[in-house]
Parts: sequence; C-alpha cells; structure tokens
Amino acid sequence: MLLVISGVAMLYESWIGHALIVLISLLLIIYALATGAMLKGRIKRKPGNIFRLHRRSGIYFGAFILGSFTYGLLMSLQHGEPILVSIHGKLGLIIVLIVILQVIPSLVLKNRASYRGLHKMMGYSLAPILFIDASWGLYNGVATGTKSSLVLLHSISGGLAALALVWIFLEILYATDKSLARARIASYLAAFLVAAGCWIAGGYNYLTAYGSQVKPVILTGPHPWVHEIVMEAKEHIFVFLPVIFFALSITLYIFDRDAFLGEAKSRRALMMVASLALFMVLLIFLMGAIISNAGKTGTEV
Amino acid sequence: MKESATFITSASITIFLTGCIIITHDLSAGFRQSLAELTGHHWISVSIITLILFVLSSGLLLGSKSVRKSLRVYDAGLWSTALMAVTLLMILGILAELTARFLME
Repeated sequence: MLLVISGVAMLYESWIGHALIVLISLLLIIYALATGAMLKGRIKRKPGNIFRLHRRSGIYFGAFILGSFTYGLLMSLQHGEPILVSIHGKLGLIIVLIVILQVIPSLVLKNRASYRGLHKMMGYSLAPILFIDASWGLYNGVATGTKSSLVLLHSISGGLAALALVWIFLEILYATDKSLARARIASYLAAFLVAAGCWIAGGYNYLTAYGSQVKPVILTGPHPWVHEIVMEAKEHIFVFLPVIFFALSITLYIFDRDAFLGEAKSRRALMMVASLALFMVLLIFLMGAIISNAGKTGTEV
Repeated sequence: MKESATFITSASITIFLTGCIIITHDLSAGFRQSLAELTGHHWISVSIITLILFVLSSGLLLGSKSVRKSLRVYDAGLWSTALMAVTLLMILGILAELTARFLME
C-alpha cells in the first residue's frame, strides 16, 4: 500500500499524483461504506467475513488519505504556496482528523458498542466531505481570473451527483426491504444536483463567462482542439445527462417495491441506467479537467 | 401502474432525436442560425427542445397503450440497453463529427 502511494508520488511529481491518490481513496471509502452498511444490514450482506473487509478497507483508506494529504502539502511547499490556507487544504485537514477518529478507536477499543453511533455518523459524513473536497481540488485547477462561484458550484454538484449515483447503485445491487425508498431519495437528490447545479449553473457560466474569458485563451493557446472538440462535445453531450437522471428518478418513483425486490432483471435494467449516468458524470468531469488545464496552459503562454 | 420502463423509453427517444439535432446543427450553419434565433443562443434552444421532447414522448407513451405495446415498453431490460446504446452512439457521433471538422479546418 505504501509502495503504491510512493510509486504514484515518484511517477507523477505533480498534482496528477495527488489526484490519483485521491481517486483511489474515493474508491476505498465507497468500499468501506458498502461493507459498513452490510454489517448493519442496511444493504444485503454478501458472503465472507465482512467485518474483516470493512476494517481492512478502512485502514487502507486512512493510509491513502494520509498519503494524499502529505502529498498535497509537499506539492504546495514545492510551488511556494502557503499551506492550509485554502478551503481545499482546510477540508483536507478535517478529513484527516475524521479518519484518525474513525480508524484509531476502532483498532484500540475492545468494547466498540458505545462508539458505533459516532463511527457510523462520521463515516457517512466523510463521503460527501471527501467528494466536495475532491471537486474543490478540481476547481483549483481552473485558470486564475476565470474562477467563479458558479464554476465551483458546477464542480461540487457534479461530485455529489456522482456520490448519489454510487449510493443508488449499491441500493440496487444489494437490495433489501428499504432499498427502493432510499434509492428514490438518492435519485431525487442526484436529479436536483444535475439540473440546478450542473445544468443551470454550468450553462449560465458557459453563456456568460466561458465564451468571453476562457474560449479566446484556449483558441490562442497550444491546444485549440480542446475548445473545438472537447468543449463543443461537452456542451452538447451534457444536455443528455438531465434526461437520463430524470428518467432514472421517475422510473424509481413508479417502480413497484415487490417487482424491485423480486425481479433481478428489472434491477439489472435500473443498474444499467445508473451506470450510464455515472459514466457520463465521470466523462464530463474528465472533459472539464481537460478544459481547465487547457485554459491554464493558455494563460501561461 | 404504467409500464415501469416508460420513462427509460422516452429518454432513449429524446436522446436519439436530440443527438440528431446536435449533429445536424454542427453540419448546417443555417440550421444552427435558426436555432440561435429561437432563444438567442443555440445551446439554450437545444436544451429547451430536449426538455420538450422528453415531456412529449413521455406523454405520448403514458397516454397510448397501443404505442406502449408496439414499442414493448414493458421490457425494462430491452429499453435500458437501448438507452445505453443510443447514448454511447450519439456521444461517439458528436465526437467523430467535431474531430472530422477540426481536422478538415
């Protein structure tokens, strides 16, 4: 595990390494949350020693978060930037503190019964904080002068919508009696985030700021194809996303609970739609990162 | 209860038609101009048309049992696969069209 962190750090002596370690941390927290939910019976338990898997994924997640935080601090020092001044850095510190409070008592305490409530609460709050911080990190990559609260809202909404989709995915994959009700809540949240935060806020920023501030910089920079292909594709592909989210939300709303629990084929169909939505959110995130990078490169030329 | 895949079917139809509109407006300057004249910006027009298409196709499917039957709307597996295929095809189509245009310029 430490070898993986060191390997990534040595391979990418830049923010890409920090981002890669965060990406692995995001996958690990999803795994830790899923196994935690299985232990409590909130989602269907899969065979095997779930407690061991939960503990192991929690420890790995803690190590990666610590690695990512240290990496971020080192990169800030290397670039001569002040440390722990930005909100991204402060959120990172909060995440590290929560992780310490999550992992250490769980390993040290012999009687964990009294600690379980707090452990559960911190575990569930950690996921949105981590997704917000990761989205904030992506926003930090946007060129200075073109940053705005709308771009930040656009990025954070996308991150939280991705988290809500993972939630829906887990509820469908390991369905129990209350899974459909929870999947519905997650889908309403995701549809709202995509429509208001991503579509309207992102669209408004595209119409009012992108064309006058970022587009000319990219077109005169070393990568004009980023606007001509990536941005042009993103602005249009994006229109599909709310339709898919609305369809998923309404389908979950009208879905019969017995059919949801009894028909594996129907659940597979819902999972396919949720996977498509998640794929599109991640694709749009990647496109956003490429556009931000081209904007930054353009201003440096 | 209406067939549960009604809105997935409607999303597939909407994305197919919107994808065709997007590709056409990238190929035809006149069509792009007329879309821009509708609301002031072609992107806003495409967004509004997408919403209208989704509402209309959902309404049509909910209102007509024969349309639902002929399109096999009861088959959630079929329509979720169709939604995935149509969306990926449209994404590839848009990317291919934009790449070809960039290379030609």
